[in-house]
Amino acid sequence: MNKELKRIIIVLVGICILFVSLIVYLSYFQVFKAEIVKKNSYNKRLWINEEKILRGSIIDRNGKILAYSEKNGETYKRFYNYGNLYSHIIGYSYREYGKVGLELEYNNTLLNISESTPLNELKNIVIPNTEGNTLKLTIDHHLQEYSRELLKGRKGSIVAMNPKTGEVYSMVSLPDFNPSSLKEDWNNIMEDGDSPFLNRATSGLYTPGSVFKVISTIAALETPELNKQYECKGSTKIDGYTLEDYGGKAHGKVDLEEALVKSCNSYFAEKSIIIGKDKIGEVADRFMINKSISFDLPTKKSSFPYKENLGKTDIASASIGQGKVLVTPLNMVLIASGIGNKGQVVKPILVKETISPEGTVIKANSTQVISDGADVFTANEIKNMMVEVVKRGTGTNASIKGVRVAGKTGTAENSSGKSHAWFIGFAPADDPKIAIAVVLEEDGTTGGKTAAPIARKIMIEALNTVKE
Amino acid sequence: MYNIFSLIFKYIFIVIIYLFILSIIRLIYLDIKGIGTVSLDNSIYLKLINRKDSLPFKIKEYYSLEDFVSLGRGNENKIIIKDPYISKNHLKIVEDEGNYYLEDLNSANGTYLNGDKIMDVVELKNGDRIRVGQVEFLYVNRE
Amino acid sequence: MLNRNVNYKVPRNLLVLFELMALLLLFIYDKDNLDKTTFISGISLIFTIYISNFILLRISTGDNYIFLIVTMLISIGIIMIYRIDKTIGMKQVIWVGMGIIVFFITYFIIKKIKGWKDWILVYGIVSIVLFILTLLLGTRTKGSINWISIGRFSFQPTEIIKLLMIFLIGSYYTNYEKYKEKKYGSYYLMGIIYVFIGFLFIQKDLGTVLIFYTIFITLQFIYEEDRKLILYNLLFFIVSGLAGFFMFDHVRIRFETWINPWAYIDNKGYQITQSLFAIAEGGFFGTGIGLGHPDFIPEVHTDFIFSAICEEMGIFTGIGIIMLFLILVYRGFKIAISQQDKFFRIVALGISILFGIQAFIIFGGVLKMIPLTGITIPFVSYGGSSMLSSFIALGILQVASEELDLEEVQNE
Repeated sequence: MNKELKRIIIVLVGICILFVSLIVYLSYFQVFKAEIVKKNSYNKRLWINEEKILRGSIIDRNGKILAYSEKNGETYKRFYNYGNLYSHIIGYSYREYGKVGLELEYNNTLLNISESTPLNELKNIVIPNTEGNTLKLTIDHHLQEYSRELLKGRKGSIVAMNPKTGEVYSMVSLPDFNPSSLKEDWNNIMEDGDSPFLNRATSGLYTPGSVFKVISTIAALETPELNKQYECKGSTKIDGYTLEDYGGKAHGKVDLEEALVKSCNSYFAEKSIIIGKDKIGEVADRFMINKSISFDLPTKKSSFPYKENLGKTDIASASIGQGKVLVTPLNMVLIASGIGNKGQVVKPILVKETISPEGTVIKANSTQVISDGADVFTANEIKNMMVEVVKRGTGTNASIKGVRVAGKTGTAENSSGKSHAWFIGFAPADDPKIAIAVVLEEDGTTGGKTAAPIARKIMIEALNTVKE
Repeated sequence: MYNIFSLIFKYIFIVIIYLFILSIIRLIYLDIKGIGTVSLDNSIYLKLINRKDSLPFKIKEYYSLEDFVSLGRGNENKIIIKDPYISKNHLKIVEDEGNYYLEDLNSANGTYLNGDKIMDVVELKNGDRIRVGQVEFLYVNRE
Repeated sequence: MLNRNVNYKVPRNLLVLFELMALLLLFIYDKDNLDKTTFISGISLIFTIYISNFILLRISTGDNYIFLIVTMLISIGIIMIYRIDKTIGMKQVIWVGMGIIVFFITYFIIKKIKGWKDWILVYGIVSIVLFILTLLLGTRTKGSINWISIGRFSFQPTEIIKLLMIFLIGSYYTNYEKYKEKKYGSYYLMGIIYVFIGFLFIQKDLGTVLIFYTIFITLQFIYEEDRKLILYNLLFFIVSGLAGFFMFDHVRIRFETWINPWAYIDNKGYQITQSLFAIAEGGFFGTGIGLGHPDFIPEVHTDFIFSAICEEMGIFTGIGIIMLFLILVYRGFKIAISQQDKFFRIVALGISILFGIQAFIIFGGVLKMIPLTGITIPFVSYGGSSMLSSFIALGILQVASEELDLEEVQNE
């Protein structure tokens, strides 16, 4: 073959590659990106259906109507019955401001827009669809209201769920906003430095502090060769960096259980070096940290970057939930749930059922185990330790008369200078009906003092009122 | 009403477009297969002038010439063309000192060079047209 | 045996079937204001295309696929344009009719006149004159000066200059030996092409710069014996790309909106995001003609016609169009490889690259695979000068596909 022909063929092959890459990109876009792109609120096509179809209602687990639409002249108007209460769950749907929350994620369901298959398209032409589906949530309206009431005046988040089924009973994130008066409040919300639009429960990344010790404890339990005894002197030096216990208090001779009960920092800092970052990281992974949690709302990934090159001080501070560890409240409630549910982490559910305009249930979300957090034996051990935390340790403020409560408190140092107060737990410990995570953002208090009592009240209310 | 039409038609359109593409690819494929091994390198050959698909028998677009080439309907020939108007042994082209000579082998319908029936051995020049039966070739010599 | 004979009819008939169905559909779509002229022009276009395909098979001994492929592309384009805007659709029908006439005229002129390879000076001078005219008379659209309006009629001289440039490069490399002997001979071509590119920079027509560069670099890659020139050229390409980026705001904007259009969705990213919505909404089979909303995309009938097609006819049709272009380019290269005449071989390569790169740039642009540059898809987008110049190019390619008069070859 002569040179000219060879070069011509090179050019031809080059052009062929360009065109094939076009085809590949187009297919890739259609298969993986199109769904997300279509949902963008700037897509005017979304609003065309809006004007023809009665948007479905959203109701709580007991059938209470939370949001609904009504005909208003030619178009439909959306009403949100409880103002701020559901701002981060239901979100809003306005032509000017777009959609967020379930209004966005379940837009097609609420408008009864079926997947575009030939049959569906034909059906839609013959019998035009005029009414959307109703969403039945797992939320208990009373508990939701109660949770928000307890958090009021603070920043932070509460998530309460059923550890066995994954149903979320209440999910609050403060500050919030009122979807009904969005137009008037828009500018204020946009300028608010506390970002009311952020759903802290699913997307707020917090330093966990001592609540993360449950992960370190499980890692310790899974390291049989580890010497579980330790003499706590109130602080310890790792690589020349001093880690202090809360208030510099020396706990004396402690084993693993005592260390968790008293939330002994030196213990975990010292032991974590022996356990190793990979072991702790592996446990964290099993409890969905570093994993994306599939949920009915968008979620942020919690992170513990143990695969990076971490120094000894990094590992030590991670073991007590400081340093490079960041978690979402939703992830923390999943950890509590997983321990309560014999080590199995279930998928959190927010939308229980989809109900057609005729009243039949067309889709029901069922319980699904998403990860094996720990084996039954280990889960039982850590549970018993957490019961001790509430009985006689840092979490006594969460104890309920006549009910065994398992929990762990946390007081997380962070860059703001004011610590986050944490509590995670579940009750009753041996057959849990409710798991909870409470975080009070930049509250400056300890988890045992402020977060634990809030959790206690919600757990009592849930055990008394929520119907499964 | 229109919607139903549009819905049905969109599938038909896609089917037609792809059938169209396929039929063209198939034609191109047949074309390439027909050309055989002749490429830019080969400088002496016969090129078919007729449109290949207008002839109801197997034929190639190019036949490269060596020192001796015979053409006819019979299977013993170098170039076999199953045209009923071509004789079993119709003609031959022979090389001598770099020149190529065309000779008719007493065929029934004769061989035509540039429109004239040849009676004797003729020397071929680049660009000559050779007609046998229904087939017409162009003689190309680039040396 | 007969089967072979029928072969060519298969795609031709499929094409007619496609067009007739589309015409029927468009009429049902627009049944409230049916009028005779539209109907007649539709039918006559179908007839013209059929006859042209038929005639071409008789008069040209060359390639029979390229015209067929192009007419398919045109049909898809017209359907979409007519559906978006009736009056523009009708204009496009007229442009296509004229384009086919221009195609045949070009075919005969190019074939009958000999000596195209020797008129390098003519190509260069005419191009520069056209460039100067554009600067003097041109009007500015979308940040670039590239239109000349004479009365009601306006056209884009760069469309013609593209072809002149291909001729110029062809004639340069055909007479390469002659130029090589002269001092700095190998720099002549680069010099003149850079003058062209300089003009385009003044016009701020960066999309065309990209096309010019690509054609030049690839042809240089194939034919230049002094390989270091190619390296220089690539260097210049990068430098002028960077210069364009820093000198012109609209280039920077294009780049920013490519990286993340969603951040500028309200203003400068509006067009591209609307295009992405349309493509996403279409899915694999599309919404059906007339059932989507391609009119949400600004300038949908020219630059963004591909997005509209994807929305209403599905990305399967989109992929089909890409494949048609691929076959067209492939045929162009095939034509070049079998062509013995060096000049026409280079020209055939140039035109194939032109079609290919132009289609690639705009497809990639509307898909957000590469930054968007406002150019039209040959044969598919609406536009008079683009349609005519594409047909001229096709006419030249048709000539190049034939075994040309051998005496000329001997003179080589």
